[in-house]
Amino acid sequence: MKKSYRIEPIDIALRESRTRNEAHVLYEAGRLELNVPRLLAIGRFCVYMERLEGKLLRDIDQRPGQFGEVGRELAILHESGIAHGDFTPANIMKVGKRFFIIDFGLSEITKGVEEKAIDLLLMKRSVDPRCYAAFARSYARHSKNARGILAKLDGIEERGRYKVRSVA
Amino acid sequence: MLVLGIESSAHTFGVGIVRNGKILANPKAMFKIENKGLIPAEVAETHAVNAAGVVSDALELAGIKMREIQGVGYTRGPGLGPCLQVGELTAKTIAKRLGVAIAQVNHAMAHVEITKKFAKMQDPLVLYVSGGNSQILKKNEKFLHYSVLGETFDIGVGNMLDSFAREIGLNPAWGSTVARLAEGGRYVKLPYKVKGMDFSFTGIATSAAKMKERESVEDLCFSVQETAFSMLCEATERAMLLTRSRELCVCGGVAQSNRLRQMLGLLAKEHKVRFGYAPDQFNADNGAMIAFVAEKMLKRGMESKLSECGIEQRYRIEDAVIA
Repeated sequence: MKKSYRIEPIDIALRESRTRNEAHVLYEAGRLELNVPRLLAIGRFCVYMERLEGKLLRDIDQRPGQFGEVGRELAILHESGIAHGDFTPANIMKVGKRFFIIDFGLSEITKGVEEKAIDLLLMKRSVDPRCYAAFARSYARHSKNARGILAKLDGIEERGRYKVRSVA
Repeated sequence: MLVLGIESSAHTFGVGIVRNGKILANPKAMFKIENKGLIPAEVAETHAVNAAGVVSDALELAGIKMREIQGVGYTRGPGLGPCLQVGELTAKTIAKRLGVAIAQVNHAMAHVEITKKFAKMQDPLVLYVSGGNSQILKKNEKFLHYSVLGETFDIGVGNMLDSFAREIGLNPAWGSTVARLAEGGRYVKLPYKVKGMDFSFTGIATSAAKMKERESVEDLCFSVQETAFSMLCEATERAMLLTRSRELCVCGGVAQSNRLRQMLGLLAKEHKVRFGYAPDQFNADNGAMIAFVAEKMLKRGMESKLSECGIEQRYRIEDAVIA
């Protein structure tokens, strides 16, 4: 999306690189049969994908019970080497009974743990502590590298700047 | 209630006087920056020399006598230790001599609250940008404290602009000089780093300083500013989408930047969100914002015993209770 607030060279460079990025990650995630929109075609500034009909997790009544599945989805995504980059309830959609992850513009294919720890951090800040606890338990159960990533998360929080208290 | 507030967390020693939410006086004395950074002990010494004078200026401007003051507030933190101590000592001395209540104020919250007053907002999404801090804030749902939704991974945006200015030899070495030179500059590519609602600034200053032989000062100033502010806007936009906030405000020293305000105004317009900010004297560090919050705190009984008063260099806004 073009943003009127930033100058054109920054706007174009970001939109181009993020479009490529999103397409690349969607393709990988789709191949692994994760709950993500199906990639249809790629333009210079725009990724064409399957249209999902559902409601954002942001806009529905959030209960800890729903977060088990969200934790599992993220664990599988991370296990396949993808970090989302903006993992909040504004980017998770409930379609029927399943939860889909959307908006991969900031995502990265990475072996590193830091990006993955940041996904957890974003969720921690965005939801009620009980919902996060359910999310983290399920995440830990479905990820082989959970221990390292959770340790990294503690490290980021301890950098001093961070003392996570959620808005919810 | 007539309350006197003291701010001394960084280069400004400010004294504000507030009566029932109305600001009567807001004088300040600033440490002169020139072309170097802040040496805390040196700044604190300047504050100590200026303290008594700024207090009497405030009383005179407000047209009141010292003995009429009914309460005192000061910045507990965050800030530079030696500087905070001068404010603490001044506030305690006044409170003890007059026998009035004292309140310990969080500096970040004071910026937010004074901005909400001027922008006439109740529960905005807040971009707080200053030398030492860059945060995206929102009251939590129970309205007990502010939550940090996004934050700098390294240094505050103001600090980055200042250290870049020093690197390329500007005088005075700070953001407004960068802003003045940026006019008419062209864009050169610099690292752009946003992760979710967080961002990091050191890479911009380092890369730009390395290019100083190749690129013109104007182009570097322009590009540093555009890159940093675009990052702040993008992170703010993500927070806006998450919280669905209908109000957005910007506060802190860097909120004095016309360009940043223009960009945030455009962002707000795209989302049909109301945008606001306080007059410049309240975005720069000042005593009035401390007095304003102290009065609210004292009215709600959130006073401290003199023996409990102290300073906290890393006093996080999440740890301060909203008055």
